[in-house]
Amino acid sequence: MIDPRDPGRSAVPSPIGERVPRRDGVAKVTGAARFTSDLAVPGMAVARVMRSPYAHARIRSVDTSAAREVPGVVAVVTAADLADVHLYYGHALADHPLIADGVVRFAGEPVVGVVAEDAITAAEALELVRVEYEPLPVVTTVEAALAPDAPVLHERAAEERPHRGFEERIERDHPNVCSTARQRWGDIAAAFDGADLVVEGTYRYPISYAFAMEPYTSIASWADGALTVWSSCQHPFMVRDDLARCFDLPQSRVRVIVPFVGGGYGSKSYTKIEPLTAALALRARRPVKLALSIDESILTTRGDGAVVRIASAFDLDGHLRGRRAEILLNTGAYAENSPLVGRKAANRIAGPYRIPAVDVTCRVVYTNTAPASSFRGFGAPQGNLAGESQIDEAAERLGLDPLELRRRNLVSPGESLWPGVRGMDADLDADVCLVAEQLDWWSPPAPGRGRAIGISASDAGSEPVTTSVVRVGADGSVTVTAGSTEIGQGSSTVLAQVAAGELGVQLERVEVLQSDTAAVSYDRSTGASRTTTLMGLAIAAAARDARDQLVGWARDTLAAAGGGVEETHGGVLADGTFHDWGAVVRAWFGGAYGEVIGRGYLRREGATAAMPPFWEIGCVGVEVSVDEETGRIRVERLVTVGDVGRAINPQLVESQDLGAAIMGMGMALGEELIWTEEGALLGGSMVDYRVPRASDIPAVTTLLAERGDGVGVYGAKGGGEGALNPVAAAVANAVRRATGVRLREAPFTPERVWRALRERDFGDG
Amino acid sequence: MPETVELGFAVNGRPATVRVEPRETIADVLRERLGLTGLKVSCDAQVCGACTVLVDGLAVSGCTYLAIDADGRTVATVEGLATDDRLSPLQQAFIDEAAFQCGFCTPGMLMAATALLAENPTPTRDEVVAAIDGNLCRCTGYVPIVEAILRAAKAAR
Amino acid sequence: MIPRFAHARPGSFDEAFAAFDAAGGDAAWYAGGTELLQVMKMGLARFGTLIDLKGIAGLAGIAGDDAGGLVIGGTATHREIERSPVVHAVAPALAALAAQVANPRVRNQGTLGGNLCFAEPHSDPATFLLAAGARLDLRGRSGRREVAIDEFLVGPFATTRAADEILAAVLVPAAAPGEGRAYEKIVFRERPAVSVAVRVRVADGAIVEARVVVGSMTDVPAVVAGAGAALAGSSADGGIAEDSLTAAAEALARLPAEDDLDGSADYKRHLAGVLFRRAVRAAVSEALARA
Repeated sequence: MIDPRDPGRSAVPSPIGERVPRRDGVAKVTGAARFTSDLAVPGMAVARVMRSPYAHARIRSVDTSAAREVPGVVAVVTAADLADVHLYYGHALADHPLIADGVVRFAGEPVVGVVAEDAITAAEALELVRVEYEPLPVVTTVEAALAPDAPVLHERAAEERPHRGFEERIERDHPNVCSTARQRWGDIAAAFDGADLVVEGTYRYPISYAFAMEPYTSIASWADGALTVWSSCQHPFMVRDDLARCFDLPQSRVRVIVPFVGGGYGSKSYTKIEPLTAALALRARRPVKLALSIDESILTTRGDGAVVRIASAFDLDGHLRGRRAEILLNTGAYAENSPLVGRKAANRIAGPYRIPAVDVTCRVVYTNTAPASSFRGFGAPQGNLAGESQIDEAAERLGLDPLELRRRNLVSPGESLWPGVRGMDADLDADVCLVAEQLDWWSPPAPGRGRAIGISASDAGSEPVTTSVVRVGADGSVTVTAGSTEIGQGSSTVLAQVAAGELGVQLERVEVLQSDTAAVSYDRSTGASRTTTLMGLAIAAAARDARDQLVGWARDTLAAAGGGVEETHGGVLADGTFHDWGAVVRAWFGGAYGEVIGRGYLRREGATAAMPPFWEIGCVGVEVSVDEETGRIRVERLVTVGDVGRAINPQLVESQDLGAAIMGMGMALGEELIWTEEGALLGGSMVDYRVPRASDIPAVTTLLAERGDGVGVYGAKGGGEGALNPVAAAVANAVRRATGVRLREAPFTPERVWRALRERDFGDG
Repeated sequence: MPETVELGFAVNGRPATVRVEPRETIADVLRERLGLTGLKVSCDAQVCGACTVLVDGLAVSGCTYLAIDADGRTVATVEGLATDDRLSPLQQAFIDEAAFQCGFCTPGMLMAATALLAENPTPTRDEVVAAIDGNLCRCTGYVPIVEAILRAAKAAR
Repeated sequence: MIPRFAHARPGSFDEAFAAFDAAGGDAAWYAGGTELLQVMKMGLARFGTLIDLKGIAGLAGIAGDDAGGLVIGGTATHREIERSPVVHAVAPALAALAAQVANPRVRNQGTLGGNLCFAEPHSDPATFLLAAGARLDLRGRSGRREVAIDEFLVGPFATTRAADEILAAVLVPAAAPGEGRAYEKIVFRERPAVSVAVRVRVADGAIVEARVVVGSMTDVPAVVAGAGAALAGSSADGGIAEDSLTAAAEALARLPAEDDLDGSADYKRHLAGVLFRRAVRAAVSEALARA
C-alpha cells in the first residue's frame, strides 16, 4: 500500500504507541481461549496426588497394593518406582525431588501419585493408599530454623545450577540457610558514627500466595522416547531443560507447549509439577493430565515472607549517609527461586537513593512450610516496606516534607546506584513529582485522611538472553516466533506491534507464534518484566536481519544493474519504484512463493552489555482513611506512574500498573498465609486468603512517563511489577499521617491497626 | 456400575441430553461432557466466581451446583453470549475497555454481568460493584471491568 | 471432588421419608447444597444418598401468617427473602441481612432452611433469628413439631433436628408495636468475623425489653442476657443512656471467644461492642418509628 503523499513509502501507520485492542480479546470474551486446564489429548489418563499430612517426617513405608487393584487405575507411583529418573530438579539448587524421596519436608508435599481413567477413580484409589510416617521436629519460622539446635531440613548440599540468575557461589552459614546474598559498599561504620540521625526498626512482610486463578496444570505425553508437555507455566525453555535433565533426554527431544496462562505473577516461573506429571506418564505409558486444585496450588508455590531489620543514617539536611539491613526470607522447604529473590532483596533495599555506604545481608532460610519462589516484586516489596517507611520516619524527625527528603536523595538519571551497575535510566525526581501533583500533595487532605508517596527501583530484566525469528512471506504477511508466554500481560499483542512497527506492515498482517519450544527459538523466560524490552529487541533484530536480506534480494532482482536500491518504510525503492516486502520475496524466489527468515539474537553485548538491562521503577501515591473503631484501613485514592521509557501499547502498561498496585494493596491490607508451629497451614483456601475485591478498589489514576530512556525498542523499559513494590510502605506512611500510628508488620490487618491505635491512646496494645 | 441419570436441559438455547452420575457438577458436565470449556474452575469453594453460570437466569457457582439440579432448566454460559459470530455489547465493551488480562476470570465476570444487566439494565456504579463483588480478578484491579459493564449498559439504551 | 452418592427427588413429604428409609438412613436432605456439597467435596462429610427437597411444593414460598408474622418455607432462597415484599414489611432487617449473605451466587442458590440446619457458627440469619425469637416448623414421619430457635441450635454444626426431620418453615414473629430489630456484622474474609443482632421494644420513650445476640464468635450465636438486661429501662427518645450502653458493652466483653484468623478474642470482643452500639441505635430507631 503506497502512500499517495510520498510514493516512496508504505502508507501503513505505525502501531507503536497505540492502544491497539488486545489480540486475545475475542478468544477470552467468548470462552474460546484455551488454557492448559481446558486441554485433553487422545488416550489421556488423569492423575491425583496424595500429600503428606506431616510437616517433617521420614517415610517409613508406603502400601499401594490395594490402590493398584482398583479397576480403572493405570499406575500408582512413588519415588521407589522412579529409579530411572533423576528425581531432583531446581534451576538454582537442585534440592527439590519431584515426589517425596524418603522424607517429607512440608505438609502437602506429594508422596504418591495415582493415574486412573478418571478423577473419581484416582481419588477413590488414593483413599486406599497407606503411608507410615515417622514425625521429625518441625520449624516453621526463620527464627526457629536458625536456632543452633534446629532440625536440619537438607542434610545433603544440593547441586548448584547455572540458571540461578547470579554468578557468585551460593553461600550458607547455617545448615538451614539456603543461600546468602550481600550488598556492601562504602564505609558503613563511619556513615553511622558521624550521623545526625539514625532511624532503626524491624519490619515484617507477609508470606503471600500469588493466587493465579488457573491452578497448576500439566499434561505429559511420551512417544518414541520423546516427551511433550503442555503446562500452565511462564518459562517453557527452563521447564524443558529441567525435564531433559530429569529424564536424561537431549533438549531437542523435549517439547514444552504453553497455551494461554491463567495468571502467573512469577508464581509459575520455572519448573513446578511438570517433572511429576512426566514421571506419572512414563509409568502409566499413557498421556497423563495432572490438574491441581487451588488449595494444592497454595501448597506448591507461595511468596517469600520476610523479617527485615534496618537502620538508616542521615545528616541533618536529610542526606542519607548509610543503610544497614538484615533480611531473613522464609523460603519454605525447597530453594526454588529464592536464592535469586534473596539476591534481589539485598540489591533492592538500597535504592533508589544515593547512599554512600551500605551493608546488607539477606539470608534465605529453609522452613517446614510450602516452598516459596518468584512472586511479583521479587524481593523488592519486602525491603521496600522497611526502606520507604524509614524515609518517612526520618522526614518526621528531621522536620522535612517526606517528598522533599526523597528528592534530596534520589539518584539522578545516569547515576549508578552502586558500583558497576547500569546508570539509572529513569528520572526518578520527575516521577515522584508527577505522583505528588496528582495526589494534591501540597494541599491538606480531608480530616482523618493521610497521604504518602513511595518509590522503588529494581534491577530487573533478568538476563538479556533471547532470540526471535521473523519470517516475511510471499504475500508480505509476517510470522514472528517468540518464546514469550501470554500470561495476561498482553505479550501476544505488544510483540506483534513491535514487528509491525519495525517492518512497516499492517498490524493485522502480523501473526505471533508463542511459547512452544519445538516451534519457536530460545527465550530465557517471561518474567522480571523483560518481555516488551528484551523480546522486543530480539524481534527488532530479527526484523532488521530480514530487512537487510530483503534489501540484498532487491538489489539482485529488482534493480537494474548499477541501479539503486534504498530501504524505505515497509519496503524498498528500486530504481525509484516502491516494492513492498512481499514483492521482494516473490522476485527473489522467482514466482508467487517463498519466505525470508530474519534472525534476532540478544545477549550481553552492546546496548545490553550493562546490567541490569534496565531499572524497573515503581512509583505510587496513596491516600487512606482509617476507621478508628475497627482499625480498618481503606485506600481512598491510588496514583501510579508507569515510567517505561516508551509505552508500545499504553493500555497494557496502565493495566499492569493497576493490577500490580492492587496486588500490593492486598498484601498491605490482608493477604497472609499462616502456619502453626506444628507446620499446618491455617485456612489454606480462598475462603480464608483475602485478595482485593471490586468493592476494595480506590479512585485510581494511572499515569505514564515516557522519556525514551530505556534500552528497548523506541526507548522502552519494562513494567508490570514496579507498581506493587512501594504500596505497603506508602499505606503505612499514609496511616501514620492520618492517625499517628506507625505500622511495621504487613498485612496491616484491622486488628494490628486497632492495637497500634490503643498503644497510641492508652499506651497498651 | 455407578448410578446414572439422564438429564435434559437447554444450554445456550439448544437442548442437551447427557447421562450423568448424581455427583457431577454442572461445571463438570459443561466442561467435560459438552465441550464448553469457557466456564473455569478456580477456587472450588464458591468464593471466586470463575465458574459462574446462569441457571434459569440466576448466577450460581458451577463448581458446587449439581448437574442433576439443572434438569429441565435453561443454562447459559459464556459461549452463548455472542450471536451469529457477533459479540454481544457486553463482550465488545470488555474488549473496548481492556477489561481482562489473563482471561481466566472473564467468563465468570461476563455471566455475572449478564445476570445483572438482565435484571437491572441501568445499574449505578455501586450496583455494578455489588454485582461483581463475589467475582475475583487477580489481574486487572477491577476498574476496567466496572467501566465495561457500565459502558455496555449505556450502549444498550 | 464430590464423592459418589445416590439421588432422590421426592414430590411430597411422604415420598421424602420413604426415600430416607430406602437409603437405610444413610441420607441427607439438601436444597441449595451450598454448604452440604462443599463439605462433601472437602471430605468432611459423606452420605450414601442425597434427597432433593426442591420438588416438595409445601417447602417453597414466603407468606405472612395471621398474626402478622412470616412463614418462610424451608427451601426459600436468600435471594427470595431479600426480594420478598412481605419480608420487607414484617422484618426489613432480615431482608437487608439476606442481601448481604456471602455473595450473589450463594444467595441465589442457598436457602435459609439449609443455612439454619447446617448451623455454621458464622451464620448471619441464625444470629438475627435468635434475637427475633423465631420458631422452626419441623416435619417428621409422625407429624409436625415446632421448636424455638434457641432450642434448635445447640452447637457448631449441630441442631436438635433428627436426621430424618425436614425443616419445613421458619416462623418469624411480627414486630410488635414499638419493636425494632437490627443486624450488624463485620466481614474480613468470606464469613462474618463478628455480628450482633438486637431486638428492642420501646414504650413511652423507654426501652422495655431488649435481646442482644452475638454471632460468629462462639459455637452457636449467643444471647447475651446481661446486655439485654442493661438496656431495659434505658431511655430511648433522644438517645440511649450512656451508662446503659456501657453496662451492656461490659456484658459483651465477658463473652467467651477464641483466637482465629479473623482476630484475637480480645479484638473480637471489642468489635462486638462496636457492632452492638451500631445495632442498638438502628433497632431503637425502627422501634421508635413503630411506637
